[in-house]
Amino acid sequence: MAKVFTLFRAGLLTLALALSFGCNEEEASGSLLHLNFNHNVGAQELGLNDTWYNSAAGHPFMVERLKYYTSNFALENAAGERIVIREVHYRDVEKPDTRTFEWKDVPPGEYTALSFVFGLDEVVNVDGGLPNTTTNINMEWPLPGDQGYHYMKFEGRYDLNGSGVIKPFNLHTGATGNNQNYVDVYLPFSHPMKLSGGTWQLNLSMDLNEWLQNPNTYDFEVFGPMIMANQNAQQVLKENGGSVFSIGAVEKE
Amino acid sequence: MNRKVTTIFTLIALLLAAACQKETATPPGNENDWVYNPTPYNLEVPAFFPLLDIPSGNPMTVQGVQLGRMLFYDPALHHEGARACASCHVQEFSFSSDPEVLPHINLAWNSAFLWDGKVQGSLEDIMLFEVKDFFKADLGRLEAHPDYPRLFYEAFGEGGITYERAAMALAQFERTMASGNSKYDQVLRQEPGVFLTDQELNGYDLFFTEEGDCFHCHGGILFTDNEFHNNALDAEPEVGLGAITGSPFDRGRFKTPTLRNIELTGPYMHDGRYATLEEVIDFYSEGLHASPTADPLMKALPMGGKHFTGEEKSALIAFLKTLTDTSYTTNPSLSSPF
Repeated sequence: MAKVFTLFRAGLLTLALALSFGCNEEEASGSLLHLNFNHNVGAQELGLNDTWYNSAAGHPFMVERLKYYTSNFALENAAGERIVIREVHYRDVEKPDTRTFEWKDVPPGEYTALSFVFGLDEVVNVDGGLPNTTTNINMEWPLPGDQGYHYMKFEGRYDLNGSGVIKPFNLHTGATGNNQNYVDVYLPFSHPMKLSGGTWQLNLSMDLNEWLQNPNTYDFEVFGPMIMANQNAQQVLKENGGSVFSIGAVEKE
Repeated sequence: MNRKVTTIFTLIALLLAAACQKETATPPGNENDWVYNPTPYNLEVPAFFPLLDIPSGNPMTVQGVQLGRMLFYDPALHHEGARACASCHVQEFSFSSDPEVLPHINLAWNSAFLWDGKVQGSLEDIMLFEVKDFFKADLGRLEAHPDYPRLFYEAFGEGGITYERAAMALAQFERTMASGNSKYDQVLRQEPGVFLTDQELNGYDLFFTEEGDCFHCHGGILFTDNEFHNNALDAEPEVGLGAITGSPFDRGRFKTPTLRNIELTGPYMHDGRYATLEEVIDFYSEGLHASPTADPLMKALPMGGKHFTGEEKSALIAFLKTLTDTSYTTNPSLSSPF
């Protein structure tokens, strides 16, 4: 009987050790974090071509294309310590396979905020700064005297004061005239995100209305369809860019 | 028992021998001197061109490229032997000819083909369409040919002549059809003594700023975004990409053609309505038509066009002509092998 008890104790000890190692392994392993880029216009989900939305300046508008870069993703903990991944993500709303930025091996931790650059910083935003792919070439910003790439192509049409006169708009943002114009996006989590291995989905949403209203009202008619070299328009969009993203559901698979 | 074991071993030996025989079987056509030993093809990509994605299932070989070149120029590919690819894709005109015939130039960097985007994917995909659906190739004609069975064997080994292999060979040849030696390219490469004239430079500035705003669709080193746009050609546009997608929002969208060698590839637009570059520039200057799907990139649409001055029009055309690469249109390795 004593032998059986000893064996039972040994079994328990082995099981405990195994579980302990298992837990340690999970704690020590990094997480796979999926940053999913979604889009809405106010309370409505973004639909290309088929939906007209209201803008703060009073011109209903529709969206034909939306392409942009985000980069330099960082997670921050309560102590203000940050882990950074200096990678670039390209999003084209017409291409579902660009929805997600995969951040591999995120160290375990309790994170309180996500930050990233909307666009490209001055290190990357130079001619040839991105890999020489057809996608990146199509985003080049070739204005003589400037460098780098479009940060965003947000293109569509607006209905002038709802009068039925349809005009094109092209919110093309980027660096011009030595103004970098990228946006530092800082998004605190409502509850800390405790990463301890596994795969996580972090849903982000860009509200396109925020480009046009917060804190500045952006009026398509005032700035016109050509804004690449117009720093006033770029500045308005840069200032509005800080509030366009919000964090939605954070889920572990 | 021993006899049984012996019999089994004998059977296994016979099976192995048969398998080995299959491995070394005579190639089709009983031509014992055919050799499948393809030589890797060293593809030269022009400076500044994007990374090229060559499918792992169709590596470039000297034999494959040569077979593709022959098929490109041989009417035998057509089910009635009526015409070859080269009948419409004429080298002198940057492998173009009639209005609807898009030039074959730098297609290796394309992923959407034909004016209405009917075929999307790789060069192998578009070439399979050309071989099977457009030319309705008669494989029997190729199999009866004195050379093609051997050439297919040398390029791809056993397996005979198939639509897929013909498409693969054509795709390999098309990947060699790279044009990157225009005056513009030479200036980019800072070759000694090559400069843009003042007029060409003015055209360059117009082209690559929003003043002319050509670059959003025709930009980059390839001078095409490889996408589809309604360039405000008509108030009631033809269906274009909409015929393929079924979407009313794609009506009037056509593939952006490259402007490389544009001087040689008239007439212009998907229906060839403009005979000269001057007419094309006039259209973008004064001839735009509003329609529900006119592209937002046609920023001057509310004014009917860019309203270029005469000098600006001439400058744009002068710049466009710096994209002409006659070394491409005279390259002997792209010419007829017959």
